[in-house]
Amino acid sequence: MAMMLPPIKNRQTGWRLFLMTVIGRSYPRVVGMQRELSWIFFDTFLPMLGVVAYVFVYRAIKAPEDYVGFVVVGGAMMAYWMNVLWSMSSQLYWEKETGNLALYIISPGPMMGILLGMAMGGLFATTLRALGIVILGSLFFQVHYVIVSFWQLFLVFFLTMVALYGLGMMTASLYLLLSREAYHLSNLAQEPIFLISGFYFPIKSFPAWVPFVGSIIPLTMGMDAMRQLAFASGPSLGWISVKLELIGLVVLSVLFLVSARVLLDYMERLAVREGRLTESRA
Amino acid sequence: MDGSNSIETQGLGRVYKIRNPGKKEARTLTALEGVDLQIQRGELFGILGPNGAGKTTLIKILTTLLSPTHGTAHVAGFDVTKDPENVRSRINMVSGGESSGYGLLTVRENLWMFAQFYGIPSKEANERIKTLLKIVGIEDRANTRSSSLSTGLRQKMNIVRGFLTDPEILFLDEPTLGLDVGASRSVRDFIRRWMDENHQRTLLLTTHYMVEAEELCDRVAIINKGKLLACGTPASLKQSQQREAIFQIDLDSPKSLEVSVFEQLAGVNMVKLHDEEGKTVMDLALSEEAVLANVIAAATTQGAQIITLQKREPTLEDVFVRLVGQRMEEVEHGNDASPD
Amino acid sequence: MNSKTPNGSVAWRSFRMATWLGWKIESNWTDPFLFTVYSIVKPLAAAMILVVMYGVISQGQFGSPVFAYLFIGNAFYQYVGMVMVGVSWAIVDDREHYRTLKYLYVSPISIPFYLLGRGVSRIIITTFSVFIIMLVGVLYLKIPFDPAKIDWVLLIISVIIGIIMLAMLGLLLAGVTLRMAQYSFNIGDSVAGALYLFSGAIFPLQVLPTFLRPIGYIMPISYWLELIRRALVGGVAAAFPTFSNFSNSDLMLILIGLTIFFGFVSVWAWRKFDWQARERGLIDQTNNY
Repeated sequence: MAMMLPPIKNRQTGWRLFLMTVIGRSYPRVVGMQRELSWIFFDTFLPMLGVVAYVFVYRAIKAPEDYVGFVVVGGAMMAYWMNVLWSMSSQLYWEKETGNLALYIISPGPMMGILLGMAMGGLFATTLRALGIVILGSLFFQVHYVIVSFWQLFLVFFLTMVALYGLGMMTASLYLLLSREAYHLSNLAQEPIFLISGFYFPIKSFPAWVPFVGSIIPLTMGMDAMRQLAFASGPSLGWISVKLELIGLVVLSVLFLVSARVLLDYMERLAVREGRLTESRA
Repeated sequence: MDGSNSIETQGLGRVYKIRNPGKKEARTLTALEGVDLQIQRGELFGILGPNGAGKTTLIKILTTLLSPTHGTAHVAGFDVTKDPENVRSRINMVSGGESSGYGLLTVRENLWMFAQFYGIPSKEANERIKTLLKIVGIEDRANTRSSSLSTGLRQKMNIVRGFLTDPEILFLDEPTLGLDVGASRSVRDFIRRWMDENHQRTLLLTTHYMVEAEELCDRVAIINKGKLLACGTPASLKQSQQREAIFQIDLDSPKSLEVSVFEQLAGVNMVKLHDEEGKTVMDLALSEEAVLANVIAAATTQGAQIITLQKREPTLEDVFVRLVGQRMEEVEHGNDASPD
Repeated sequence: MNSKTPNGSVAWRSFRMATWLGWKIESNWTDPFLFTVYSIVKPLAAAMILVVMYGVISQGQFGSPVFAYLFIGNAFYQYVGMVMVGVSWAIVDDREHYRTLKYLYVSPISIPFYLLGRGVSRIIITTFSVFIIMLVGVLYLKIPFDPAKIDWVLLIISVIIGIIMLAMLGLLLAGVTLRMAQYSFNIGDSVAGALYLFSGAIFPLQVLPTFLRPIGYIMPISYWLELIRRALVGGVAAAFPTFSNFSNSDLMLILIGLTIFFGFVSVWAWRKFDWQARERGLIDQTNNY
């Protein structure tokens, strides 16, 4: 009898499988964004208006012009935090609800690949939003940048993203155990983080312990370093030196990526033991 | 573990703790208890049971989604709790009514994505997708967004996803749920052909449709309230009932019949009464045909008249009723929310 | 059924049931203590962002009318986000997560009143949050607040009308949400964030470029927040020229007029989007990516 389907000839394993898993999982994020173009309005334009409101607050209280730039950059970085919070951390909870999580777990594709694919796809989608906010905001408000070193600035941004999405991957695995608390925890982590990470103002304004605690969020040091490297008054308003912040970001990157790996294994085992991988929200 | 077995469980059990906010102690729910199964390579094995019996819990354990609280389970020779990675590279699973994938992606894209998680190169994946979509009859929907699909078409896509990766062992949990009669039949035909093509493949199917189990499965296990009640080929299970004479009598009775009157008759092994469309239906299992006369006499004494009398070959339903004491629908209606 | 005006008992039944359901969903996720913390910390942190921004520039001069203006405006602006989100998010929640929207559509209820009912729990939670924020402002940040001088009648009427107005805007957004794919940031939050710019919540409309000010003047939220300020701290409101030529009655009439206008717009928009969603089969569509 002729076979309906021949056996699979070149089934990949190892790092090739890891890479295929990353690409496979990032695909819906990249393609999904293209297919529903209303993100340009709802996810870029409208949030930008919210950011612009803070610019006008500074203008109303006669703040130095560099603070307008702080708001523009902070608004762009906020897009990344929201993406990590909602499309990384709590995403696995939604995947559980739809049944996708079970299918990911039982596939040979590693979960780290799934998480990394989510991160890459989210990073790509969010970068377009963030760029939109920075470009439009900078043009409209005539923000004046004084870039000390482009390569340092790029490195700070790159490390901030690595550490941030590493944090997202780590918290995603923690969320494996949660049910409806996932939504509320993500909700709770919005404004308090906006505050202690200094999205709209230099964190030097706080007592010393606040930025120290806040620096667990990579954006705290990342934004502080970016302000020092991109604005004239940046260095005088910086919390600690850019060099120290770069080291801090490297440490956070390693810490979060390793923790993500360890926690993912642990949380998966725990979730399997407690039967949480397929429970529904109801 | 026997090397010729694809799936083997020993004393498998799962107890759920149901948390109750505000109360200190959680209550427990036994979903599976003492399940011993040996499924050989090349078998199409059915698990038959009502809703809440523990079928899905069993599948979840075997597919490494849930760990057992007692006993062991081996799939493809690997322990599901100690060696899940080796199990996962050899299995796949399709559940009835699942809504996997992403609505904004097309059918083909969703399937391609899952193929990547199994390490199937894109070119090969796309060829297999094309072939499978044609087999299940939805090749014209390949470029349709999955959010636009009806329940039945979506289930066909899910079925393609399961077979796409050419697993050594495939788990189908109520796979024809949501499909119409024609589609269910074509899926069953496909399953049979897939199994016949390669005798190294194993398939575990859960269902609460007796017809599906009888038609497809090499062997069937009957499960209820977490316990394995019987296991064997459909023929052997039915034969265990053939020691008895099975009858169905439709009666017209002015008043409710007393079932205890019939139960007390010598030679009556089982009697069930239920009302249906203005008549009373009596299902009987007798030790010998001669007992039938006494049953008829007892019925007419209570004022009943016989409408029809039929001798039946035993079905899996009869096997189930014999083992459980109720029809499957009655068990389902009586069940609390299950961990399934 | 859903495009027709519902009779009173259907509307009330839908609203009442949805209020109960909304409260169950909002509150029944963890223990009450954590829920209380969540309800306080989140809005307080949002308020503190502005406090820090102001404090950095003004070197801690919190006695200025400018600070009172932005603090009170920001506190009551919580209603804008929460009510609009509460009403419109129910579409996403019921369609994508609970998958019950289709069943609601085939049942004999009024969907608009159902959505409005789902927003009630958020109104209750927000009232609690606003109270806490104001308390912190008065106790620790020297907001010039004299309970004896509060115009309670104006305050209560303004809050009630404001909530109705926001609920209608939420309904408009719910209609838009019905036509859109699911979002990580929900549409209610995005729109509320955008309206922050045009509502005079945290800075007087005079600060906006001239070509943008008309948007603020047609937003009912601008008048609502001004009334709230006048009711609570009349002297502060008088320090800003935006609405200085309008009496309280003028502002109230404008607010009511705009509420009615946007109410009609919202109902019209809801019916239009509802019809489009049913025509395109979007009621039971799930997306998530």
